[in-house]
Amino acid sequence: MNIIVCVKRVPETSEADIFIDRSEKDIDKSGLTFDLNEWDSYAIEEAISLKEKLGGTVTVISMGGEESNETLRKCLAMGADEAIRLNDPSFEGSDGYATAKVLAEAIRKIPYDLIITGAQAEDDSYGQVGVTLAELLKIPHAALVNRLEIKGKIVRVHRELEGGLEEVLEIDLPAVLTIQTGINEPRYVSIMGIRKVAKKEIKVLGRSDLNLKPEDVGILGSNIRLEKVFLPPSGEGATILEGKPEEVALRFLEILREKGGVS
Amino acid sequence: MEVIEQKIAERFDLYGCFQCGKCTGGCPVSLKSKLNIRRLMIEGILEKITENINEKKEIWDCTTCKTCTIRCPRGLKPMDLIIGIRSLLVEEGHIPKTIIEAMENAYKHGNPWGKPKGKRTEWLRLMPEGIRIKDFSQGDSAQYLYFIGCTASSDPRVQQVLKSLVICLQNLGIDFGILGSAELCCGNEIRRMGEKGLFEELMEANLKSFETYRIEHIFTACPHGFNTLKNEYPEGKFEILHTTQIIAKCIEEGKISLKKEFKKTLVYHDPCFLGKQNNIFDEPRLILDAIPGVILKEFDRSRQRSLCCEGGGGRMWVEASSEGQRLAEIRVKDAIELGVDIIVTACPFCLLTLEDAVKTTGNEEKICVMDLSELLAEVIQ
Repeated sequence: MNIIVCVKRVPETSEADIFIDRSEKDIDKSGLTFDLNEWDSYAIEEAISLKEKLGGTVTVISMGGEESNETLRKCLAMGADEAIRLNDPSFEGSDGYATAKVLAEAIRKIPYDLIITGAQAEDDSYGQVGVTLAELLKIPHAALVNRLEIKGKIVRVHRELEGGLEEVLEIDLPAVLTIQTGINEPRYVSIMGIRKVAKKEIKVLGRSDLNLKPEDVGILGSNIRLEKVFLPPSGEGATILEGKPEEVALRFLEILREKGGVS
Repeated sequence: MEVIEQKIAERFDLYGCFQCGKCTGGCPVSLKSKLNIRRLMIEGILEKITENINEKKEIWDCTTCKTCTIRCPRGLKPMDLIIGIRSLLVEEGHIPKTIIEAMENAYKHGNPWGKPKGKRTEWLRLMPEGIRIKDFSQGDSAQYLYFIGCTASSDPRVQQVLKSLVICLQNLGIDFGILGSAELCCGNEIRRMGEKGLFEELMEANLKSFETYRIEHIFTACPHGFNTLKNEYPEGKFEILHTTQIIAKCIEEGKISLKKEFKKTLVYHDPCFLGKQNNIFDEPRLILDAIPGVILKEFDRSRQRSLCCEGGGGRMWVEASSEGQRLAEIRVKDAIELGVDIIVTACPFCLLTLEDAVKTTGNEEKICVMDLSELLAEVIQ
């Protein structure tokens, strides 16, 4: 079974202090650590588990600059067989649609039975690339998949809906599946594991290698134009209680009593 | 598979094992865990160790207290076998999720607790007014490097100990500086969780900083950091001391005389990484004895026989694989039976696990846990 996984390198922002950069269209990434997008780690783990069960190859693709090599190597160390990086100055500023166009052109060149992506990216959280990719390739898709099972030429998937409900679908392969977190437990990649794949080639393709014109990609090829990124305005009505934990706890109890939260 | 198994018995020098059982007999978790180091030794020899290796969840129960290795009458290293098995599991990647997080954090942030590099020195703002801590990475120089360690940098409770320690060191006139944000995890726990590659990277990076800033004398308050810097980093590059050694020396040399009284009954809990693993038993007791008013009691299981608190070997990031009383809770109950007011220790892991045990056993009114430096800071000024 030949599987393609699309991944993205994103900044880690959970414990970091975030500042808007000078252009006001992005955050200042200078002090941040980067890693494989969390949803994509579940996607790649799923692909590799499938390969271990059913045989075949896993190809991992990412649109990004040289820094993305680190992320692709992590995927190779997890068990992917091939890695392709798509990079071109004209790709800069691509929205989900433009990104999907670039990925689609790269993917058309390779045989595949299944394409797996993460449901969304940690940074912009649009959740569009996987679904758009399916439309461009004219194959069926399912998004927010939290369980999947290959049955010959069909994949049976569970999609996560709201309120704990799940939708079960059977989809003809080839198809695109976007993966929800929790579908599996992504394996750890050790330093030694990464060293083992350090010399593996990562194929790099630019726009001229793909069937794309300048107006297909980047800002020109996007349907969404990012105007501004800003921090939400500080509101009122929030009081920060300070002091020793015992004092804060007592004051908090007083407030709960005053406001009728506790009798 | 056969080739790997043969290497295990040879690699870990298992053939000398005659199955006496002193290892399992001394193992602090053996009563409640499926972990049986004696059995693992024979499985290694019989080339059976990789069978169902993924199901051996108990392999993560080991606290790397080293009692097994210390007790082995044939000089073998059962603990190294456990670490070796963990290495195999780490390479496969199917290890507990929380251990993955700790390792990835150590790789990305240089801190298994996950605090970003840029925030590693946030604790500086807790320091008392007027105290300025020298920072080698900012161009200062000093006689000693104080290797702070990840736990002190990240945990709010241990940051209080940092504050006390700084007060003590200032009063003792010790000239020290820190590495600031350039300091990375010492790698002790990382190595014991089986990630040798990551340990080597952390060690190389720290060694580079030591070289860059021409550091020759280091001390640390964390016995885990002390252990690896002393025994696993290359010899001859620097001298390493634990803070209790420095403080005890100052007291012995009469550099300070403590007049203020501290009228409490205490018991000192020997941390595994300081006590049984590195033979530092007397210095902490010397310090406590020098404080007027202190009544110092001893656990039955003290010094080499000290009961492991269950914090080491990655246990801060993974829960026990089976039910059974936490060793720290047993320790707290023993301390209460002894009739002491305070359990004193000299290790951040022991401090955190014992303090948690005081809370989970509902004994917050009866007893508290303090680091030795916190006690000293109260009487030293």
